Amino acid sequence: MLKVKAGDLDRMGMLFERYNRQLYGFLFHMTYQRELSEDMVQQVFYKMLKYRHTFTGTGEYIHWMYSIARNVLKDHWRKNKQQVQHEGVEAAETMAGGLVPDEQFEKKQAKAELHRAMEKLSESQREILALSRFQELKCQEIAEILGMTEGTVKVRIHRAMQELKSIYVKMER
Amino acid sequence: MKCELYEELFTGWINKELSPEESGALERHIAGCANCREELQGLQQMWDAMGQIETPEPSANMGVKFYAMLDTYKESVKEQRSLWADIKYQVSRIWEWQPRWPMAYNLAMVVILVGAGYLFFGKSKSDDQDKQLKALSSQVHELKQTMMLALLENPSASERIRGVSYTSEIKHADKQVIDALLATLNNDPNVNVRLSTLDALTHLTGYPEVREGLIKSIVEQDSPLMQLAIADVMLKLQEKRSVKSFKELLKQKGLDNGVRDKIKQTITQLI
Repeated sequence: MLKVKAGDLDRMGMLFERYNRQLYGFLFHMTYQRELSEDMVQQVFYKMLKYRHTFTGTGEYIHWMYSIARNVLKDHWRKNKQQVQHEGVEAAETMAGGLVPDEQFEKKQAKAELHRAMEKLSESQREILALSRFQELKCQEIAEILGMTEGTVKVRIHRAMQELKSIYVKMER
Repeated sequence: MKCELYEELFTGWINKELSPEESGALERHIAGCANCREELQGLQQMWDAMGQIETPEPSANMGVKFYAMLDTYKESVKEQRSLWADIKYQVSRIWEWQPRWPMAYNLAMVVILVGAGYLFFGKSKSDDQDKQLKALSSQVHELKQTMMLALLENPSASERIRGVSYTSEIKHADKQVIDALLATLNNDPNVNVRLSTLDALTHLTGYPEVREGLIKSIVEQDSPLMQLAIADVMLKLQEKRSVKSFKELLKQKGLDNGVRDKIKQTITQLI
């Protein structure tokens, strides 16, 4: 990224190749909308180009990327306060057609439920789980991205997991 | 209460981030605490189940869009830079290929030509204007003269006075005007008209015929007012030729005593 900052804009292509899936995954778990997530990836990379001079190089590049992504998300939520449509769940449900064997069907069903439970979490809880479970970041990295201590991150993850479990259990009944 | 202390370790456990010492401590705790064991199992199940949720792959479209965006951005940056560099280059080139003396010569030529053009066209323009102005003012002059002559024939005394007053605006009175004024001075029935005519004529004393006319007019006047006024004018003009006329006037019978004294005084002053 420092080379991009110095004017070698082609390096941005390299960064895109390396991180676009990760970033897309994060944004997808935050929004559950494929197209929107793709647009947001685009926005994040555009902002990284435009504000490349603000990258100091003191922290990790991906922390900077995540903080920009979080800002993009915040902007999005502020602009679209109305109920977000979740296509992920529907897709999972339609995929669970009658032709698949029962066992697989149940698995799919369970997955769809878990998915729906995730959606019911608050944004910050979903965010911390997205980072830890789906992005597989270490607690210390999450702490840097979110600007918290490592201990707080651990406790928050724990609470989010408890919440998710209780939602899931309620749904099963 | 002690269990809460292990909450932090729970996350590390399912996350597989714990150090061997930490996992050892947690294992020892859950071995003796059924609650925590259950909780941890539940969380672990949850965590594993979440792993089943797959993250979709971004479409190929995203990459296409990204590279299009990157290209556009690079273009815009390049354009800004190259435009600036271009201007700089052109400016520096001007001095390279154009030796300074010829350029200075060119510049001087331009200045001279512009100056000459300005002088030439400026002058001819003012000449034109002068001509036009002269033509216009002569027209006005003629018009006033005609009007004055016409007004002097007017039966109304005030109109005749107005006509006389126009002569003060006529710079170059011709013979026609002077004759008309002198005729009015001698023959007009109204004293006021004659007085203003006298006033108008005193402005034209640069003409010899006006002076002569005024001197001749002295004996013609019968009104004391006119006689006094003419005496004043003559005194002002220091016209010695008028003494003869005044002496003739003194011979006239029925001359006002005041006028007589004034004329005697004038004669002595003139001589």
